[in-house]
Amino acid sequence: MITLRLIQQPAVPLEAECLTPDRLVELTNDQIRAAVLYHGKRQVRVDEFFQVDGELSDAIELHGDLSRVRHLGRQMSRGTVTIRGDAGMHLGAQMSGGKIEVFGNAGDWLGGEMRGGRVHIHGRAGQQVGAAYRGSLVGMRGGSIFVDGAVGIETGMRMKRGLIVAGGRASDFVGLQMKGGTILLRQGAEIRTGAWMQRGTIISLVDLQLMPTFAYSGTYNPTFANVLAGRLAKLGTELPFDVSEGGYDRYCGDRAVPGKGEVLIWKPT
Amino acid sequence: MQKSRFLPRGRKDRTMVLVDIRETKSVKAADIFLQVRPGKDFELLTILRAMIKDQPISDAEVAETGVSIEALQDLVARMKAAKFGAMFFGMGLSMTRGKHMNSAALLTLAAEMNAFTKFVAMPMRGHGNVTGADVIMRWQTGYPFGISFNRGYPRYNPGEFSTVDVLVRGDTDCVFVIGADPGATMPQPAIDHLARVPTIVLDPHVTHTSRLAKVHITTAPAGISAPGTAYRMDEIPLPLRPALKSSYPTDEEVTRRIKEAIQAKPDWMVEGPQRLETQV
Repeated sequence: MITLRLIQQPAVPLEAECLTPDRLVELTNDQIRAAVLYHGKRQVRVDEFFQVDGELSDAIELHGDLSRVRHLGRQMSRGTVTIRGDAGMHLGAQMSGGKIEVFGNAGDWLGGEMRGGRVHIHGRAGQQVGAAYRGSLVGMRGGSIFVDGAVGIETGMRMKRGLIVAGGRASDFVGLQMKGGTILLRQGAEIRTGAWMQRGTIISLVDLQLMPTFAYSGTYNPTFANVLAGRLAKLGTELPFDVSEGGYDRYCGDRAVPGKGEVLIWKPT
Repeated sequence: MQKSRFLPRGRKDRTMVLVDIRETKSVKAADIFLQVRPGKDFELLTILRAMIKDQPISDAEVAETGVSIEALQDLVARMKAAKFGAMFFGMGLSMTRGKHMNSAALLTLAAEMNAFTKFVAMPMRGHGNVTGADVIMRWQTGYPFGISFNRGYPRYNPGEFSTVDVLVRGDTDCVFVIGADPGATMPQPAIDHLARVPTIVLDPHVTHTSRLAKVHITTAPAGISAPGTAYRMDEIPLPLRPALKSSYPTDEEVTRRIKEAIQAKPDWMVEGPQRLETQV
């Protein structure tokens, strides 16, 4: 286990893409201390901002308010990153494996364009969770993101595969231009959910205000719901699927694209 | 309005459609006026995108936008029948809820209309040489705005590097303002940050930002006593010849002298003492 404690709050955002399990597993304590971070445009050593304990491990634990530390766990493919405090932007961006757990809030572009692995945020997350970067056609392509609190705008923008679970209320434009994958909204969302979606599934457990270009296409209990519920139960969250409890209103769209996406809204009996 | 071979009757051969949340003075100049309910621009544009593709849209679905389905069907027919359509949009679209996605909806509609006929979309610019800033940034870096150079190469990410977001989050420890007045238009947290950090303003006048700034340098007004190139809204560069003489230096001269002064300091170039190995 490698423990990093923030000893000094950066004056401007600190870009720390070297703090990933893939990098640190090969480094001794001295090498970790000498690794390069970008403080604004200046290169600084890790030990200028962090107290470093441990070496040669793919389990990293970070302590402190890291809301101005960006690109943590970038492109990681193994190991664990545990953050006890808030995390900054681009946490776990483009990751392909491993696990990130944050006991605090996360910033924008959490898991942006990720391909695999698991992210769990115990607090809130910022905007563009699991989204595509500007100019990119495809966002998240695999893995799962669990956020216990609220999420910001454009959650799952252009995502193609994978799972996003929002425990709190989501903001506008959930699943914007979505191409596949699943988004589960436990507390619903603000307006324009599923705008311009091509494919994929958005499930909401409370009523949603939908775009006028979505069409109602029946109430049913999809067979995949109990398969998904089984998988979600293993990951620690529940999904109702039984006919005796209620059914899902299915809306399809977005006809502006025209797309074959679906929005399922749970209606308990 | 100009008469031409294909539009011999000038204005009478052209159709102007005005979309706004209330009747403005421009209604008199327009042939058709569509009153959209506030905050429903994105919905209306998305419905239009569906309608140009002949997707079934019902009256009830259109009702929430405040425009009738007949009016929209007429609009779509006119748009498809036009030889050359142009859409203009302004702050009413880009600064209401949905922000950049409202503009994106209009731009996507214009792009998709090109499956039927020639269509363009153009933002209506506000004060100053905004288009010029966009154009220059675009050919220098490949991106129009929201660019960070801190790694030595341009990185584009609006929301992370755009001015208002950087200031609201307080990500900078110095601000350099040329020919703009963020102190008058930006949200309160951004203004507080401008007052907190050293802010340097280059402007011919004393602005709201100058009052927040640590340093204000009065410069010669561009186009009146300083030469240069301004870009018209449709990206046509117009050379400006000064009519008057000013005792103040131009923006260009001040910026160049600041750059020379910074270059003389040791901690400057990426290849030089900036790097870690040369710092330690």
